[in-house]
Amino acid sequence: MKRGINHYIELLMVMTEKELRARYKYTVFGFLWLIINPLLQMLVIGFIFSFFMKSPMEYYYFYLFTGLLIWNFFSLSLTKATPSIVFERSLIKKAMFPRMVIPIAIIASNLLHLFIAMILLMIPLIFVHPISFMNIIFLGIGFILLLMFTIGLSLLTSALNVRFRDVTFFVQALLIVWFYATPIVYSFMVVPKEYHWLWIFNPMTSIVQFFQYALMHYPLPTLSICVGNIFIIISITIMGSIIFQKESKNFDDWI
Amino acid sequence: MNTIAVQLLNIKKEYSIHHEKPTLVEKFIRSNNERFIALHNINLTIAKGERIGIVGPNGSGKTTLLKIIAGITAPTKGSVKTQGNIVSLIDLQAGFHPDLSGYKNIFLNGLLLGMEKKEIEAKCHSIIEFADIHQFIDAPMFTYSSGMALRLGFAIAIHADPDILLFDEGLSVGDKNFQKKSSKKIQALMKKKLTVVIVSHQMTLMKKLCSRFVILQNGSILSDGPKSTLSRYGY
Repeated sequence: MKRGINHYIELLMVMTEKELRARYKYTVFGFLWLIINPLLQMLVIGFIFSFFMKSPMEYYYFYLFTGLLIWNFFSLSLTKATPSIVFERSLIKKAMFPRMVIPIAIIASNLLHLFIAMILLMIPLIFVHPISFMNIIFLGIGFILLLMFTIGLSLLTSALNVRFRDVTFFVQALLIVWFYATPIVYSFMVVPKEYHWLWIFNPMTSIVQFFQYALMHYPLPTLSICVGNIFIIISITIMGSIIFQKESKNFDDWI
Repeated sequence: MNTIAVQLLNIKKEYSIHHEKPTLVEKFIRSNNERFIALHNINLTIAKGERIGIVGPNGSGKTTLLKIIAGITAPTKGSVKTQGNIVSLIDLQAGFHPDLSGYKNIFLNGLLLGMEKKEIEAKCHSIIEFADIHQFIDAPMFTYSSGMALRLGFAIAIHADPDILLFDEGLSVGDKNFQKKSSKKIQALMKKKLTVVIVSHQMTLMKKLCSRFVILQNGSILSDGPKSTLSRYGY
């Protein structure tokens, strides 16, 4: 086989570049949109929720912004990757190439956004909280888990969406509920202990909390939630890759 | 040295018929899928350098066979072995992004066809030259006429350095001038030990290019032999 890992990376880079160029073509603000969007969300949610909060959270706007960046990366990647195979049917019908690059290129382009936004967030944060070595370690773990989970789940949903177009709608509906099931606008500390086990089933809990620990010095997730979440993340990643690989051979028959 | 370019063993391809986009509900309500067998027990060995024409009426499985050789779809049963770089001229315009420039699209399309980035950089000039795009190469693809896009697609495909070239009808692209240029290029490529599989209804052209003919009917091979066998089946 002529195509090695090198070719795969080159293809992924060009596909990612395509994603980015196509997205910002003919926009005035261009890259600025990636900041404006979470900033608006942060201002509105922060303003409204400050009415409800019993005790004000420390640096609530920064806290919100951290969670929103992670969440926006995740939800945007998933919403765009899920129907991606169907959208790119002309590519599938044209040649044999690793089909995985289609959803992964979407995630890669969003990851670049996340990096830029994250750096912009960290500049003011350094004045609030000094970042320690441990913070950086957990920032890294958070990124790895986030990326794994996003890729794994996107592979799963994009492969299933080829046969069952309902998956797109299911994902859209799920994401709305999921947002409130993740400690983004609230802190996990307000969740009563007897309900903690519920969050074991939401892998985004640990991921968001790792980032909140690294950037905001909020507490780390409890061990049981952490283990449960990571177990789900790994299972979904493996399942997603296997199902995608198996289904990708016959994508052409369904689109 | 191995002299086999393509080997198909006991290929069977089955499609389940979907009348509308399948939904989850439908899947559970009607579990008995209607099936359609597109290819049935196909055995075909193509040696390196052979030029094969595949003929047969519509719906006989020609395109499916080509897709299986190209690896675009997998057979339901049987094994496919291919050697060398396969380039299919199945859908020339596919894979172009309308918002990107022609230049960027050469890279996108070339990589999809299995070329390396360095290789594309080296051949880029020759591709643009061949497609006759010149000053428009920096313009976004949506400004191209369909002829220009087809020419560019063709130019990229033949520069991909194929060992096995697959054609599906798309033998004539562009105006007379370009057709002449492209058939000259194809003939030059054929002089090198290039394996070619052509699916077409243009018999005169195929008779000129191919030395072996496979006749498909209802998903099975009806006959396989030199040009002389064609007349027996009325081609």
